[in-house]
Amino acid sequence: MTVARRPRPGPGRKVAVVTGASQGLGAVVTRLLAGEGYDLILVARHAAPLAALSNEIRSAGARVTEISGDVAVARTRSRIVAAVRPHRGLDLLLNNASELGPSPLPPLSRVALRALEQVYRVNVVAPVALVQSLLPLLERRHGLVVNLSSDAAVGGYPGWGNYGASKAALDLVSLTLAHELHDLGVGVVSVDPGDMRTRMHQRAFPGEDISDRPLPEATLPFWAWLLGRPNTEVTGHRFRAQSEHWGARA
Amino acid sequence: MTRPDLDFRRPPALEATAPPEARGLRRDGVRLLITGRNASTHHHFRDLPSVLTPGDLLVVNESATLPASLATRGPTGDVLLNLSTRYAEAVWLAEPRWGVGIPGPVPREAVAELRSGTVRFHPIAPYPGIPRLWFFRSEGNVLRAMASRGRPIRYGYLSRSYDLPSYQTIFSRVPGSAEMPSAGRPFTRSVLRALERRGVGVATIVLHTGVSSLESDPGRTAMPPVYPEPFAVPTATADAVNRARERGHRVVAVGTTVLRALETAWDGCRVVARRGFTQLTLGPDRPAHSADGLITGFHDPRTSHLALLFGFAGAERIRSAYSEAVQKRYLWHEFGDSQLVWAGAAG
Repeated sequence: MTVARRPRPGPGRKVAVVTGASQGLGAVVTRLLAGEGYDLILVARHAAPLAALSNEIRSAGARVTEISGDVAVARTRSRIVAAVRPHRGLDLLLNNASELGPSPLPPLSRVALRALEQVYRVNVVAPVALVQSLLPLLERRHGLVVNLSSDAAVGGYPGWGNYGASKAALDLVSLTLAHELHDLGVGVVSVDPGDMRTRMHQRAFPGEDISDRPLPEATLPFWAWLLGRPNTEVTGHRFRAQSEHWGARA
Repeated sequence: MTRPDLDFRRPPALEATAPPEARGLRRDGVRLLITGRNASTHHHFRDLPSVLTPGDLLVVNESATLPASLATRGPTGDVLLNLSTRYAEAVWLAEPRWGVGIPGPVPREAVAELRSGTVRFHPIAPYPGIPRLWFFRSEGNVLRAMASRGRPIRYGYLSRSYDLPSYQTIFSRVPGSAEMPSAGRPFTRSVLRALERRGVGVATIVLHTGVSSLESDPGRTAMPPVYPEPFAVPTATADAVNRARERGHRVVAVGTTVLRALETAWDGCRVVARRGFTQLTLGPDRPAHSADGLITGFHDPRTSHLALLFGFAGAERIRSAYSEAVQKRYLWHEFGDSQLVWAGAAG
């Protein structure tokens, strides 16, 4: 685990933590945040693609701290908190890092319990742990927590029980936190990005052609919309990024 | 449905190149083609109250038009920036163009930093699948820049530029549309008074329209992608629509924007109060449930508006009405004539 660079935080700049930032959806949202002028703390397990992304957006003027490590490991999370602290606040925590489990997807009746636990550690325990330790910094900026969910959380699809149940748990984590943190001004939402042509999706369908799925860039307008809304308008909601409309009952 | 399915011949002379006021007419003096189950009949817009019945409900769009077209200076030269939709305090979806009649795509290096007075725009990313539209981060007060230097967005078919009041309707109250929600344009005070005397109600929604320039791109064969637009259907309107329909009265959407907002708020059996951004597209595979009638202008071949009309009233009814409109020389586009289309057996 390395912390490549720690820029001095600028006054009045928005600050975001993105986990699972280096590829797929995480990279798409990271580029958007950089374009919107956020200071970024980017987290990913693999150092090389993370460094490539960081260099790309740095050359466009973004201020980036790279943290390579696994969010399921407590020491990685401590490094994240330490990287945010000099910014004196956090506007956005995007819990995007996710563990699919073994590929091809085993049925729940046969999944190795160690794999089951690892999926929960990454998809449920790590997001809760990050909210716990970043809460004072989120509170200071009335920040937003975004937890990445999946239609597998409500689907009951054979083979998706491990991943899906962890995302269902994360959905309830999001809703509960939204209520618990409401009075602190911290918002919490859950986002199902929809099917996308990503490495994770390919791992779920090994050897199959997934080129009919949209690229993760298709969700960009949704993220631009979500990041532009006040917490009061979105907190407690579960959004589908590729649905016909985003919003709520008035 | 692909765009060739939505083709028809409309002579170029039938484009309204100026507002009716500039053609010596009152706003409510434009023509109104009423298309029902059996045939189309010919009227003027001021006759609208007399063809509605007591208890009918009109739903109108209260969005006002912004002077959303800004002349900007970029690193390689001048760029016309048509601001389409505000996503956040300082994030806009916009269409950079080389000029009124010259669309992009404009490459990234030409929009690397666009300046209009003290306001700056920095490109974030192109809209997925639509290289002509970009997300921009803005610095400075964009609305103030629009108020002092912006012009209403216009395209090549208009003979000249008209001032912002020409692009507002009597219902315009909430600024936010890049282009006029034009179906409400022929309404005047005297039409509203006559509707009230007739016992016809008026309810409101807001839908801020984005730029429509992709609709007029003749090269495309696939349907142009629809991008999300901000909308709000308030409780009072949802209640009024549901009540009218329960009592057997007719609901008339004034404009395709109103129909899309109501349909976005349709929960499967009634309209509910709802707000957000919508990218709902209506067409033959997705007909409307929330309205019985639609007041709209005349739409070009191969547009999503025409697909919406085909879905609303059936392709045959619209094709026959449009050939009559061409024959009787109705005028197209936002300053042109109007049509009231009834769905099913409603009219």
